[in-house]
Amino acid sequence: MDQLTKAAWLIPLFPFAAFLLLTALGRSYRLAGVLIASIGSLASLVMSLLVFIERLGPNAVDYSGDSYKWIGLGEYTLKIGFEITNLNALMLVIVTVVSFLVNVYSAGYMKKDERITVFYGYVALFTFAMLGLVLSDNMLVFYIFWELVGVCSFLLVGFWYAKPAARAAAKKAFIVTRIGDAGLLLGIIVLFWYMPGHALDFSSIHNVFTEGQSGTITTTITTSIALLLFMGVIGKSGQFPLHVWLPDAMEGPTPISALIHAATMVAAGVFLLARTFDIFEASAAAMHTVAYFGGFTAIFAATVALAQNDIKRILAYSTISQLGYMVMAMGLGSMTGGIFHLFTHAFFKALLFLAAGSVIHAVHTQNIHEMGGLGSKMRITAWTFAIGALSLSGIPPFSGFWSKDAILASALEENPFLFAVGLAAAFCTALYMSRLFFIVFTGKSRLQQPAEVKESSKVMTIPLLVLAIISVGAGFIETPWNGWLGSWLTDGAEDVHASGAAIVASIAVGVLGIYVGWLMYGKGSIERGAAGAKMPWLVHLLERQYYVNEFYDAVIVKTVRAVGKSLNAFDEYVIGGAVRLVGVTAGAGGRVLTRLNNGQTQTYGLTAIIGLIVIIAAIVGRRFW
Amino acid sequence: MLPSYLTMAAILFCIGLYGALVKRNAVIVLLSIELMLNAVNLNLVAFSKYGDVPSLTGQVFALFAITVAAAEAAVGVAVLIALFRARGTVNVDEFDEMKR
Amino acid sequence: MTDLTDLPILSIILVTPLIGLLVILLLPKHRNRWLQTAAIVFTLIPLLLSLWLYADYDKHQGGNSFEETATWVEVPLNKETQASNGVTSYTLSFQYDVGIDGLSLPLVILTTLITAMAAFASVHVKKRWKAFYAWFLLLETGVLGVFMARDLFLFFIFFEITLIAMYFLIGIWGYFNRERAANHFVIYNGLGSAIMLIAFILLVNTAGFHIDQETSSFIYSGSYADIVHNLSDPSAWVNLAPDQTGGLNPFHMSAAMHTVIFLLLVVAFGIKLPVLPFHTWMLKVHNEAHPAIVMIHSGVLLKMGAYGLIRFGIVLFPEQAKDWAIVLASLGLANLLYGALIAFRQTDLKLVLAYSSISHMGIVLLGLAAFNQIGLQGAVFQLVSHGLISALLFLIVGSLYERTKTTTLSELGGLVRSMPFISGILLAGGLASLGLPGLSGFVGEFLSLLGLFDSQPWIAGFSVIGVILTAVYVLRAVLKTTFGPIEERYLAVKDARLVEALPMIVLLAFILLLGCYPSVLTDTFQYSVDGLFKPLLSLRMGG
Repeated sequence: MDQLTKAAWLIPLFPFAAFLLLTALGRSYRLAGVLIASIGSLASLVMSLLVFIERLGPNAVDYSGDSYKWIGLGEYTLKIGFEITNLNALMLVIVTVVSFLVNVYSAGYMKKDERITVFYGYVALFTFAMLGLVLSDNMLVFYIFWELVGVCSFLLVGFWYAKPAARAAAKKAFIVTRIGDAGLLLGIIVLFWYMPGHALDFSSIHNVFTEGQSGTITTTITTSIALLLFMGVIGKSGQFPLHVWLPDAMEGPTPISALIHAATMVAAGVFLLARTFDIFEASAAAMHTVAYFGGFTAIFAATVALAQNDIKRILAYSTISQLGYMVMAMGLGSMTGGIFHLFTHAFFKALLFLAAGSVIHAVHTQNIHEMGGLGSKMRITAWTFAIGALSLSGIPPFSGFWSKDAILASALEENPFLFAVGLAAAFCTALYMSRLFFIVFTGKSRLQQPAEVKESSKVMTIPLLVLAIISVGAGFIETPWNGWLGSWLTDGAEDVHASGAAIVASIAVGVLGIYVGWLMYGKGSIERGAAGAKMPWLVHLLERQYYVNEFYDAVIVKTVRAVGKSLNAFDEYVIGGAVRLVGVTAGAGGRVLTRLNNGQTQTYGLTAIIGLIVIIAAIVGRRFW
Repeated sequence: MLPSYLTMAAILFCIGLYGALVKRNAVIVLLSIELMLNAVNLNLVAFSKYGDVPSLTGQVFALFAITVAAAEAAVGVAVLIALFRARGTVNVDEFDEMKR
Repeated sequence: MTDLTDLPILSIILVTPLIGLLVILLLPKHRNRWLQTAAIVFTLIPLLLSLWLYADYDKHQGGNSFEETATWVEVPLNKETQASNGVTSYTLSFQYDVGIDGLSLPLVILTTLITAMAAFASVHVKKRWKAFYAWFLLLETGVLGVFMARDLFLFFIFFEITLIAMYFLIGIWGYFNRERAANHFVIYNGLGSAIMLIAFILLVNTAGFHIDQETSSFIYSGSYADIVHNLSDPSAWVNLAPDQTGGLNPFHMSAAMHTVIFLLLVVAFGIKLPVLPFHTWMLKVHNEAHPAIVMIHSGVLLKMGAYGLIRFGIVLFPEQAKDWAIVLASLGLANLLYGALIAFRQTDLKLVLAYSSISHMGIVLLGLAAFNQIGLQGAVFQLVSHGLISALLFLIVGSLYERTKTTTLSELGGLVRSMPFISGILLAGGLASLGLPGLSGFVGEFLSLLGLFDSQPWIAGFSVIGVILTAVYVLRAVLKTTFGPIEERYLAVKDARLVEALPMIVLLAFILLLGCYPSVLTDTFQYSVDGLFKPLLSLRMGG
């Protein structure tokens, strides 16, 4: 009955075929392009759901498809293949659902763009790459698709290429994630040489690192492999210190921010942590690093989000912060918590972005202070946004609450300090979300042309509604009293993390955050500028995002530039100079010897005689020497 | 006996060489060249008489060399006269037609 | 299908461009269209033949295939007989000896492919078409000969042919400073050839001989097989110290002499590669020569350096190669980072690509220095891949220059608006160049680093920085050209014509093919590594 699982390799091929078709058709077939791409992603959605349902059956086992030779390396072969586990099936569903909804939504959002088919082509290519990443059965294939999603993200961030900001953002997105990828690549190389039999497939990794064979690999090596892999996670999932590309990536079209930079690609890092979880578990040091990086990112990004004024940047920092949560959960050993939060976050964050996109589409600005009072004009957008925001803020019964609670509960068990960090971040989350909501949707309108604002078309609001429904309901697959997801994902290896204290605390901070936000931005009983007036440096610090970009500019970019410049000078003057010196010397030597050639027989004779004497002296001298 | 002939020839040769390389007057240069040739002839004759394998060949060879030298001198002087007509000088320093 | 071994297929491939050369000489010189068609036809024939060769090549066989031998020059030597082995006469003999193995085959195909594409790209040549295509075809024969020759003398001659043909191609049809560039080219490479010749003479004098038992004559030859055989035979004279042969052995190659020859070869081929600090000539060539010529130069000629380094340096002197691996690896790392950092500062697209070539050749060196199967495979892969990618990029540069009349980055921008096709290909080429998986650049890079990690883990670790820097400079240059606001004067330029688009698509297709299914290439080489390295490795490594 696992026919569908065996055919799962087809799933990524639907969008790929759509991509090829779109590329071949060209730009003129606008409607056809939209339809082709949507049908492609619908097909993979249906198939993913069927596979997922198949995995729900009682006797579903992990399935590895046949792998094919990619490169023969003497006695060892690099292979490509696919694999279906419960985790993969879950990811398939997340990716295809969001991808399909974004496809539908973009038909409205990108309607007027002349390159809409190009856009759909890129989205289809991205969906293909992301699904390939999810299905990959070994690290190398994983890396290949990992890079491919990166390049699709790059293309889509730079989709409006004529804007210098988009160009810069695309470049930054690629290069910053590339830094992490370089670590990941090195990690794979190290893994290749230390794994018994040079196996790179996930099941071998699982076997080696769990079943006591890890004696073949020392703890130091394990830790370094884990940390190198984690570099990739840091880059892709926007963890501190490589988070800087993600806010800038908001230059891309908003549906892309929802699909790539909220729901799927940035979560790939967390997914990588889950797939190689055994390596991390084998090294306590690596686990701690992961947990602290995640925790720090969560609170760091949440505080930055408090002071941003661009609706998409707020959501971007929120994404970074939530990814920090997931990474922290992984580091605390709660894979279920991390994946659960990935699952719920994918939906409610995609919802928030799409709703934000709907707002931007209507008002043509991203500055929240130029919006206001939109709730009455855009009811569906406002309500769905509110659902997403409540979910993100961790208010029961919305899905975000359950997943965040799972993480906080495990943090409370493992590491109270990180629990506190998580709570603080949760408070900030609730605060910035309520700030965002109240400024944008309530109060007086601060728009330039208020009359024009109206609700977006159905093609855009229906995906919002669907996502809103999922955001409400998705949390119930893992609750403190029902650990279905955990036992399904880990074969019952991981217990439910439940703690009354965590629940109470998390609800309390969530509500408190929203209440404070309401007081400040909704009711206005707390003066908005009060905090800023008291601590202007703090507001400034947050607004400038802790000056991380400036720091990188000053330290790294300038250094690389300077090194490049000095090497260029070195190349020009030292190496080029040496070459010129040789040339000049040869020329000068030639000129000197030309002087001898003065046309006077006697000089020639004298030269010849001197030469003769030298030769004789050499021959005679050699006797004595 | 041989060393004294050879020494004599060497002295002659060096004088000839000096003259050929240093003197300005082309006629003197030609004369110096003759001097060198004669030094060689002296060697040939000396070796044919006192060498390891004495034979007449060396002396005959010397005769040939003298003949050729005479012809060479004739050609040399002819060239010199032609040069003198063209340039109005016999100063070797001013002959640099071979330059470059 | 006819059995290819019945035909002198390699000679046919070698001679076809020469026939084309004759045809071109017979055509009237002002008929540009005819001349170009002839050139395209006579470069496409070798391409098709070499693809046929690939189909017929037995990958598992490993050693030389399709070998053709004929005595070319035979000089009887008057040498005092030592009369030891009953030898009665001495002969100096040079063979016309061509063959291919898994190392040559990919490079032969690369050559025929890139020359054919460059023939298409020559539409932009503006003057003296007849001479251009004549030299062009001669160049192809030269390069093919280099990759096929199995005799040192023959190798040298083909090597020199490329030098001369290239000199004129750069010097006559280049940009403003073309003559200077041509002089730089010929002086550096002439020096390299001279050093190579010294190494070859030393090799022939010590190991390049065999004794013909029938005529009992002692034959000095430049035969590669002889040299490999002698060097790998522990009882051959070249490997016996004088005290083992009873006093005198003029053929003995001491350990020091091994090192000297190895280093001579490294320098000779290093200049061609180019290795730091011998790279300045290459920048001038890249900057000044006609794009069609740079395609061949960067795509194929640079590969001759690496090819020579593998075939003569590393295969013949594995012991020395292993001892000096750390130096090679450091040079490779230096090339990689140095080229990348400087490429980042260049203001001209052509120079960015030139420094990028230096950087990518560093990866080849890293793969070689790994000195294991994976690394070598990576190096060879990187050769082919870089050949395709740089040929593609320079093809685009040529088309861009025709339209914009400049390659200065600050004067370009937003070209995707008016030239979506060319810009798209440029972006794809750039992504291939920075090692995006799925395109060929990644495989070479990955295999080289993978191999290197086993032998030099720290250098491999540092090399990863190069992966980042490559992305930095490639994206900077490519995005500066294609993205951003477009200048008014570029709005009206037309996108690629068919004759330009065709080679771009073909090259990109090959890049994609190699990136998605690298076995196409690696399989041919995989089995040859054994054939190449076994004889000498087993002797010297005691394995």
